[in-house]
Amino acid sequence: MQARKLALLLSILPGFGQFYNKQWIKGLLFLGFGISFFLVFGDLLNMGFWGLATLGTEVPRDNSIFLLAEGLIAVIVTIFGLAFYYVNLRDAYKNGKLRDENKPLSSLKRDYQNLIAQGYPYLISGPSLFILIFAVIFPILFSFALAFTNYDLYHSPPANLADWVGFDTFAKIFTVDIWRSTFFSVLGWTVIWTLVASTLQVALGIFMAVLVNQKDLRFKKFYRTVLVLPWAVPGFVTILIFAGLFNDSFGAINNDILAMVGIDAIPWLTDENWSKLALILMQGWLGFPFIFLVTTGVLQSIPEDLYEAARIDGASIFAQFRNITMPMILIATAPVIITQFTFNFNNFNIIYLFNGGGPAVPGSTAGGTDILVSWIYKLTLQSSQYSLAAALTILLSVFVIAIALWQFRRTDAFKEGA
Amino acid sequence: MSGVAISLSLAACGPQESGGGTSGTGAAEEQNRELIIWEDIEKTDGIQAAVDQFEEENDVTITIVEKPYAQQIEDLRLDGPGGTGPDVLTMAGDQIGTAVIEGLVKEVAVGEEVQSIYTDAAMQSQIVDGKVYGLPKAVESTILYYNKDLIAEEELPATLEEWYEYSKETTTGDQFGFLALFDQIYYAQSVMSGYGGYIFGQDTDGNYDPSDIGLNNEGSLEGANYIQKFYEEDLFPAGIIGEQGINVLESLFTEGKATAIISGPWNVDPFTDAGVNFGMTKLPELDNGENMSSFIGVKSYNVSAYSENAELAEELLVFLANEENSRTRFEETQEVPAVEALANDPVVAESEVAQAVAEQSIFAELTPNIPAMNEVWTPADSALQTIATGKAQPEEALNQAVETIEGQIEATHGGN
Repeated sequence: MQARKLALLLSILPGFGQFYNKQWIKGLLFLGFGISFFLVFGDLLNMGFWGLATLGTEVPRDNSIFLLAEGLIAVIVTIFGLAFYYVNLRDAYKNGKLRDENKPLSSLKRDYQNLIAQGYPYLISGPSLFILIFAVIFPILFSFALAFTNYDLYHSPPANLADWVGFDTFAKIFTVDIWRSTFFSVLGWTVIWTLVASTLQVALGIFMAVLVNQKDLRFKKFYRTVLVLPWAVPGFVTILIFAGLFNDSFGAINNDILAMVGIDAIPWLTDENWSKLALILMQGWLGFPFIFLVTTGVLQSIPEDLYEAARIDGASIFAQFRNITMPMILIATAPVIITQFTFNFNNFNIIYLFNGGGPAVPGSTAGGTDILVSWIYKLTLQSSQYSLAAALTILLSVFVIAIALWQFRRTDAFKEGA
Repeated sequence: MSGVAISLSLAACGPQESGGGTSGTGAAEEQNRELIIWEDIEKTDGIQAAVDQFEEENDVTITIVEKPYAQQIEDLRLDGPGGTGPDVLTMAGDQIGTAVIEGLVKEVAVGEEVQSIYTDAAMQSQIVDGKVYGLPKAVESTILYYNKDLIAEEELPATLEEWYEYSKETTTGDQFGFLALFDQIYYAQSVMSGYGGYIFGQDTDGNYDPSDIGLNNEGSLEGANYIQKFYEEDLFPAGIIGEQGINVLESLFTEGKATAIISGPWNVDPFTDAGVNFGMTKLPELDNGENMSSFIGVKSYNVSAYSENAELAEELLVFLANEENSRTRFEETQEVPAVEALANDPVVAESEVAQAVAEQSIFAELTPNIPAMNEVWTPADSALQTIATGKAQPEEALNQAVETIEGQIEATHGGN
């Protein structure tokens, strides 16, 4: 039998392939790692996989939610273990192959030097990968998994256990009348809100930046300072103040501003459509300074000779803007603009603080201005519908990720950057 | 198939591993006699003396942690199994049903003689399916606040109809007569229930029946129609409808722009601090001779299901809620106690707010403490709001609300 195959076969027990290759120290290291892996994680793996499979069998001893978390950690640890196991097999096979070919085996020292030389980037990024897996991937996996259980008020610890129910919860969103109708009306408004509010703030920001950047304009610093103010004040303070300003009977907007020009009081908070308009206007106001700043930065970097050449060719101001300024801005700020869209898709603060998703709409469980994320919040806190909320969160993430990916792929910024 | 086999073999080995571990830590915990109380925010003073006494008599160490009481059950869900939870916590009476279903609070073994010292309604809020799960520490109810600078005590209208007339006379552009947040079921129920409306029907034992919803019965409709005219005639401005309404209502009262409002005892301190010269009384009568009803909120002490010293915690609970300690707590915190004998106690009788709450409590009803109640608030508020804004007529709005509530109960509590 070839040495490579025998080495591979033997290292099914970590280290033994290396012993066969007469690499004693390395073999001991692998064996040591293998044994300590099971010593340290044995209990975790045992309980974790058992918990993940059953989600508990006995109350109040078992807590389904904790078992689920433990199970997911066990899965992650197992993946680490398998990776190590793969390294072990591969090392035995490679050295076995060298023996077959009658080449000298690499010494431990050489291996070490190789690792340092080639694996340096991996060694350095290793710890952050580790943190990434537990701080980012694990919570996402956890809420993802929740959507496939029936975790709600009646299936929550310590009195009851949760169970795996597969896609039932997703099916419910589309089959239970009251949820389906609410889901689609909320989704519709969420999309409109995202598109209109974000476009408004981006357009306003770019417009203002171009305006303030005019060469002959004086007091530029003053204008820039004023225009950044909406961003400088904490958002939640501004939103609460706006809620007061928009009040139907007592707010300054109806009583002072609109009354001054002879417009009757507008039901900003009690009429669904006016509330939506108020929210969009507010988000435009809150969001444009950021785009304004970014665009201002970009404008500084557009070479003046481009405009000079355009002027010589007889291009109008508008043509200059369309063919020089705008493309330059878009190339440089596309990623930032996309984040504005994804941010507004989940802009919980403004909806929650302004009117809590109101006003009420007859026959719907969500308010007139509830977006998906604020509706999920209500479902979780008011009805303890944890698994439903998790399922909706997955759907919501799919939307955001899809939109973001589609937009990223269409913009040049990333092609050039990568 | 092999997957099933593996999971079965794992199922066989999983729990044994943990069994030894848990009993081991349990035994260790018994050694130290320590109790943790979760108390409401800024209410520690009320129980400090009682806690000191209990510590001395029973040789235990008690830690008091302050947390907003409405949120404590939420925290218990994670802190309990995590081992940092309380032994005794404070809860709102209408959360008990939910907490019992989740198994978060322990049944308390208290006899008739302990139960009998509390007012019936308050004690009832702690009972689910005939079992006692806690002891009431304080009751709350909405009451009528009036501005003494705008109306003298003896001129106070006695009925809601008279308040309506009064409002019609006194309401100008920025001055209002009587105001209430009737676009929320919590406040509107005062009127609707006075005419015979109810949220959930009750059987003879006082258990709620989630399939019997009375929000669109004749009484509720009559009440809603009555409420509507306050809005239609602009006696209630549109600015007090909706999410921010409560802030507007309270600031109108503190600025002296409203003669009277319906609000709860939680506003005594803020109004006093704002320098308002105000008085408090029970809610007015309705024109059918019934007094306006209200929801009583009960705050209670309960024992966590995760408590390692459950028996001791139970003793502490009974001790904290007994008559003497309830009186002390009232003196320190001004929270109206649920102990029946204290209603006539000079300490309580001299307090205007306690008096008003006690008087109103006679006409009050409990917020249903079953989980289905969670599905009522939003649709009912929505209906009342559309009635208030004139977008829907009461009958249509309430029917729709009941339909929504039934649908939600079916969807989230169906089959349970």
